[in-house]
Amino acid sequence: MAEYVNKRTNRGAFAGQTPFVRLQGISKHFGKVRANHEINLDIRPGMIKALLGENGAGKSTLMSILSGRFQQTSGDIYVDGNLTSFASPKDAIKAGIGMVYQHFMLVESMTVAQNVLLGQEKAFLVSPKEQEKEVAALAEQYGLPIDPAATVSSLSMGEKQRVEILKLLYRDSRVLILDEPTAVLTPTETEQLFEAMWRMADQGKSLVFISHKLKEVMAVADEVAILRKGEIVDEFKESDVPNETVLANRMVGRDVELSLDAQPVEPGATVLDVQGLDGDGLEEIMLSVRKGEIVAIAGVAGNGQKELVEVICGLRKPIKGDVSILGLEWHDFYPRPPRKGRSLAYIPEDRQGLATCKFVDLVDNFLLTTRHSFTTGPFLNRSKAVDTTVDIVEQFNVQPGHIDADARSLSGGNLQKLVIGREFYRQPDIIVAENPTQGLDISATEEVWQRLLEVRNRAGILLITSELNEALQLADRIAVMYRGRIIDQFPKSDTKKVDAIGLMMAGVTPE
Amino acid sequence: MLGFTIEKRQEPLKWGSFFIFLVALVFSLGVSALLLAIQGKPPFEAMYLLWDGAFAHDWALEDTILKAIPIFLCSLGVAVCFRMQIWNIGAEGQYALGAVGATWVVLSMPEAPVWVIMPLMFVAAAAFGAIWAIIPALLREKMGLNEIISTLMLNYIGILFLEFLVYGAWKDPASFGFPMTIMFPDTAVIGELFGRIHWGILVCAGAGIALTIFLKHTRLGFEIMVSGENPRAARYARMPYSALVVLVMGVCGALAGWAGLIETSATLNRLQPTVVVGYGFTAIVVAWLARLRITSIAGYSILLAGLRVGVENLQLELQVPASFTGIMQGLILLSVLAGQFFNWYSFQRSKRG
Repeated sequence: MAEYVNKRTNRGAFAGQTPFVRLQGISKHFGKVRANHEINLDIRPGMIKALLGENGAGKSTLMSILSGRFQQTSGDIYVDGNLTSFASPKDAIKAGIGMVYQHFMLVESMTVAQNVLLGQEKAFLVSPKEQEKEVAALAEQYGLPIDPAATVSSLSMGEKQRVEILKLLYRDSRVLILDEPTAVLTPTETEQLFEAMWRMADQGKSLVFISHKLKEVMAVADEVAILRKGEIVDEFKESDVPNETVLANRMVGRDVELSLDAQPVEPGATVLDVQGLDGDGLEEIMLSVRKGEIVAIAGVAGNGQKELVEVICGLRKPIKGDVSILGLEWHDFYPRPPRKGRSLAYIPEDRQGLATCKFVDLVDNFLLTTRHSFTTGPFLNRSKAVDTTVDIVEQFNVQPGHIDADARSLSGGNLQKLVIGREFYRQPDIIVAENPTQGLDISATEEVWQRLLEVRNRAGILLITSELNEALQLADRIAVMYRGRIIDQFPKSDTKKVDAIGLMMAGVTPE
Repeated sequence: MLGFTIEKRQEPLKWGSFFIFLVALVFSLGVSALLLAIQGKPPFEAMYLLWDGAFAHDWALEDTILKAIPIFLCSLGVAVCFRMQIWNIGAEGQYALGAVGATWVVLSMPEAPVWVIMPLMFVAAAAFGAIWAIIPALLREKMGLNEIISTLMLNYIGILFLEFLVYGAWKDPASFGFPMTIMFPDTAVIGELFGRIHWGILVCAGAGIALTIFLKHTRLGFEIMVSGENPRAARYARMPYSALVVLVMGVCGALAGWAGLIETSATLNRLQPTVVVGYGFTAIVVAWLARLRITSIAGYSILLAGLRVGVENLQLELQVPASFTGIMQGLILLSVLAGQFFNWYSFQRSKRG
């Protein structure tokens, strides 16, 4: 993985100026839940501030207050030294604070220039040429290369993100909040983003960078603030942090193992065999998974992983080619896979929308896929399910473990632990895990990884991941996917190929 | 905004929500009284007559409960569909088909003993109503046809089909040209239980209890709940979503069909077009007001049935048109639904302007 070199040229040019935004004693309570407590934070011109924290540490709440979506319970916000209150996101935008969300809010069928100027047109009639010129100049100024006449739907994720940033710059935002901006980017795009961030900071913008990736925080940030349990527990200059491990320790408040020692398990019978799967954007996929091994499909999201997973998990019919699951042909296995035992478990990326129901309690969410094990005749044995849910919540360390609370009260990491606990309870022989640690903090990631390694003894695991590190930590074999094809497959021990994964993910086959 | 901001409550109101309901009810009655006053009717006397005609006497209460029976059955069915977010507004047509099904049994075997004819009437009414509901369910699942449109249209087809029969093939030759079938034999009439209340009320109790158990304690009930909450999660968990749609629609059709049967057999003792009076549409209002909870459905059925009976009294005493029922129903629904906003939100004086 590439080492990032901080290319700031103008750091310190704005030192000593009044902070754009100062948060003083900000607290936010949701009923009894204390999401933020007495937070003090200065956002200074020309500085990149990284905000680090575990899931549920209160980062999103704090940023929602800053961008006007929530109002603080107590505390003050000063903009340019003046006490201000944000009644709505509009006020925050007026004050020059803008946010780039993880999910882009763009009109896909419109051009880049139209998206940037949307709602900001200066006259009733607009000239596309003029608009494009204006956007091109802005893009040039901040080092965000993009074709202003291109349609948004044709852009890559990295380019779309640039459009989002340009939207804010066009509105003269001085504070740009980036919520996990690198989650959807290729390594090259990430580097481009960082360069643009440095350039923006050099020109006096201030940036707030939310990320779980310590390496990136180390590389890109000037200042680091660590949130834990709703409080800022630590704040320091980037130069004061010796290395990632120290940073990680400060974040979770204890020592973490960032790399795992995954001892290989003797592989058993083949549980999944895909031969020449074609169609739906997939090309000639050959893949097999044996009991006792983790096969990682590495690649940037959107290269056919979703289609492949949907076929394997029975949500989509294979168009051409053979898929055999636990020795049965696809059409014999689906549409009625075994309801308990000797089956396939799917841990989808979309935990909130697909794997669980938001407004339903933990027991019912547990029953979602395990309901057949708790059925006698037509009746559902809910009290037995309650006991089992309590066990699972405890065993998989789901916090807070109130089983009668709605699923939406859990943070992403805890929800994922519940989903994993539920799927493991079914004792599957194959597990398909799709970006299982996306958006999770270090300690939850570590727990999820441990669970997957443990379960390898009795199941074969197909891991779809866009995190190179995850593939390297867990997998026995790695397959790299690009534009619907698996361009190479190799064991983790093949160091030469492992070194070239980054290139392969970008479609380059090394010779 | 005027020194107030809207804040989300952390927990929904409990007893406060009953108070909000009362305020909304009084508000809607107030608007109704105002409308009457504009027409030159005495508003306070009108409100008194409404109460007096609906709840204040034994006969009034009996009338109200008799009307609440079909409304309750239709509302149960509608609520089951709504729980799954299937917008079945076709209870009216399913009710008409139920009446047709039951009548068909009676006309086919008028001589049969009660223990044959009665069960068969219930089976036929349920089957006819269910088929009428399953048609739009299949159209939705197989061809993606919006169930709101198809159930609405089938209402008119169902009602016209009923009229076609009683104006034609099923018309009683001795009816002097009136569109009605022969009087049902005693074996086919649902008898009285106490006062004028017939044992159809036991069907309501049975259906209510059975449905509560079904929704709360069976696997299918759980699957219906999940499918309504999050259809994507339901498919992920391999729930038979399409089959569940057919099931809830079928249950609704059967219950509405029974409502049609009971009204035909117990109240009119024969089939005639006046059996269709909009209970199926009132059921939608009831289901929403009750927020799909079965016990609340019972309460709201009685309330809205009382409204119908009370307005009849207004009609007699003050010559208020019958369609005033519809206006009042609408007002109550709107104000109660609007009032539910306060279950989750409150106005707070803002700290700074």
